[in-house]
Amino acid sequence: MRLNKLNIGESGIITKIHAKEPLKSKLLSMGFARGERVKVLKHTLAKNTFDIDINGVNVALRDEEAREIEVMKES
Amino acid sequence: MVEIKIALVGQPNVGKSHLINSISGATLHVGNFSGVTVEKKEVEFERDGYRLKLIDLPGTYSLHPYTPEERVTKEFLLNGEYDLILNVVDSNQLQKNLTFSWQIADLNKPMVIAFNMYDEYSKRGGEIDTEKFFKLTNIRAQNVSAKENFGLEELFKKVIKTYQEQNKPRIYYSEIIEEEIENVREKIKDCRFDKRFVAIRLLEDDEDIYKIVHEKPWFVELLPQLNESKQIIKNEYDEDDLKEIFFEERLALSKGIISQVAKIAKRETLSEKIDKILIHPVLGLPIFLFVMWLLFQATFNLGAAPMDYIASVFDSISNFVGKFLPDGILKDAIINGVIPAIGAVVMFLPNILILFLGINLMEQTGYMARAAYVMDGILKRFGLQGRAFIPLVSGFGCSVPAYMAARTLKNPKDRLITMLIIGFMSCGARLPIYVLLVSAFFAPEVQGNVMFAIYIGGALVGLIVAKILRIVLFKGEPEPFVMELPKYRFPKIKALLFDLWIKTKTYLKKAGVFIALASLAVWFLSSFPRENIVKEYSLKIAHVKSEVKKEELKEEMRKKILENSYIARIGKIMEPITKPLDLSWREDVALLSGLAAKETVVSTMAVLYGGNSSNSKKLIEIIRNSLPFTAAVAMIIVVMFYSPCVAAMSTFYAEVPQWVWRIFYTIYPNVFAYFAALLAVSLIKLFS
Repeated sequence: MRLNKLNIGESGIITKIHAKEPLKSKLLSMGFARGERVKVLKHTLAKNTFDIDINGVNVALRDEEAREIEVMKES
Repeated sequence: MVEIKIALVGQPNVGKSHLINSISGATLHVGNFSGVTVEKKEVEFERDGYRLKLIDLPGTYSLHPYTPEERVTKEFLLNGEYDLILNVVDSNQLQKNLTFSWQIADLNKPMVIAFNMYDEYSKRGGEIDTEKFFKLTNIRAQNVSAKENFGLEELFKKVIKTYQEQNKPRIYYSEIIEEEIENVREKIKDCRFDKRFVAIRLLEDDEDIYKIVHEKPWFVELLPQLNESKQIIKNEYDEDDLKEIFFEERLALSKGIISQVAKIAKRETLSEKIDKILIHPVLGLPIFLFVMWLLFQATFNLGAAPMDYIASVFDSISNFVGKFLPDGILKDAIINGVIPAIGAVVMFLPNILILFLGINLMEQTGYMARAAYVMDGILKRFGLQGRAFIPLVSGFGCSVPAYMAARTLKNPKDRLITMLIIGFMSCGARLPIYVLLVSAFFAPEVQGNVMFAIYIGGALVGLIVAKILRIVLFKGEPEPFVMELPKYRFPKIKALLFDLWIKTKTYLKKAGVFIALASLAVWFLSSFPRENIVKEYSLKIAHVKSEVKKEELKEEMRKKILENSYIARIGKIMEPITKPLDLSWREDVALLSGLAAKETVVSTMAVLYGGNSSNSKKLIEIIRNSLPFTAAVAMIIVVMFYSPCVAAMSTFYAEVPQWVWRIFYTIYPNVFAYFAALLAVSLIKLFS
């Protein structure tokens, strides 16, 4: 499933980054890499913007960018 | 004395500027990187018989640049002159930061790492063994806290030692990759960069390096080896994206080294707790709006008090100087031209200072990124970014600080679009014009609503124009939005004041010159030619006895001068063009003089219609009887959208170096204002 489908408080392990360059490099440099754990801390009311925790770093992403990250949801 | 040039490199929000501000006995120089409007700070100081020169490079997440600022950093690291790299790392985000450090280490220059914000890290139980780090990587490192001022002197000792020994990093990737790096490296002949560095960058598809080496004679021989090596790596890792392979390689390296040298700190939870409230899905927006309300109250109410004071100081300077100068053109030029022009520059300082103090505070505490997060969803619909909100709302107060506030937008396209629509947010100086026209032509019960419609209408049109600009002028993919939300931190007063001082200096230097010159030009256009009129009236004035009569004659003279001035001539030339808007040359002149400052529109109309500007009731009467309703509407609409005052325009020019955009910015609001007014006038005529 894609990162934008996770709800607040849910987490997952990244399995693939679908984004193309230069967004992909940007995401990688922020720490979004395969095998890393991401957690959705918050999103805005309309789910336009997400606040993601990646390894202790808070990153804000839009729905469009979150959609590019494939995750395996943790139960 | 030997000088050591040090490139200061780090990811954003690692406290590089704190570090610079904390060095004792340092002199600072602020300029621009050549060809771009990216701020370049240089600090010089002496330690142990060496002169250390730090060059602060813009914060960068990776050597695969994304923003123009990151490009500047990469460009400098590749082609700039420096002896040593000082890499600042946030101890609280070791993994993310070190992954970038390995990229810089590849440059094979002497390098030192500062583990900054170590105070926060150790408070939560974290530890970093820098000796072990040195053994593993051959990079000298020092735990520092720029904020608490510890470790800095030890850091500079290590910098000097590293320079003396020319000590370079030793970072090795996994065996398969090292083997291919070596295979490629062997084929690289003469090159001004380190061969191993070139080999690594070529393997990870760095286009900048590719462009540099692909013209070399030996490149033909290199290419087959490069392709073969890439293929081998791709096969081994079962992945086609070499950038990703190298990134994961470095991430693994970071994890390995961290596990050996660092004791991991407990999670920081304060930021999360604060964020639970500040960017709450429901409460986030109202809280942000309240913060904005506070900021603008402070900026434009607190800022207004010194404005009046400054105005009166400059008035008295004019009077004082006037007493010493002989009557004539020179005196007039100085007391009516030069001094008010300088006054106009100083006038905006209180607004700018307060607004920037607020913005700096938001940036330093980490709230700015949250504000962008909260507003992004709404502004995205109009092709704008979350951060654009602050410059746009500042525009309601005054466009001058608003244009400067747009610097908070890092992406040049976002910044330009935002700046192009700031003028549509009606600034405070336009209020008197609206008040005059609205109270003259609308029934008292609807006046409030009309005023509201003017302000909201202007803002909405601005947002729609932003959307159109984004679609028409900046075609292509929308800019992605990936932004770190830094930890909340207490601001440092010294850093706040320092930044304020730099902003003030740039404003006075750049915009100040523009503003002063432009104000002078408008004064000249509206007071010349005048010789004959002055002659005629000074005779008349000399003949009459009564003081009241004298004042009346002076008033009349002013009117005559203005009616006969260059600006009036331009107004008369424009009359046929503005005829469809039902505007006469008098309104044209008033609008033209509004380019000097919007406040002068009302006073010019007062002079031209023979009213006295101090008696507003009478002026309203006169305006109501002289103008048709359509003209009033046309004038309101023109004022809403046409070019802002020269002070604002000068600031725009100072901020945007490209002539294409400067010209576009100068023309399009006026064309837009004209057609918007024409549409409104036609509609009124159609329905009445």
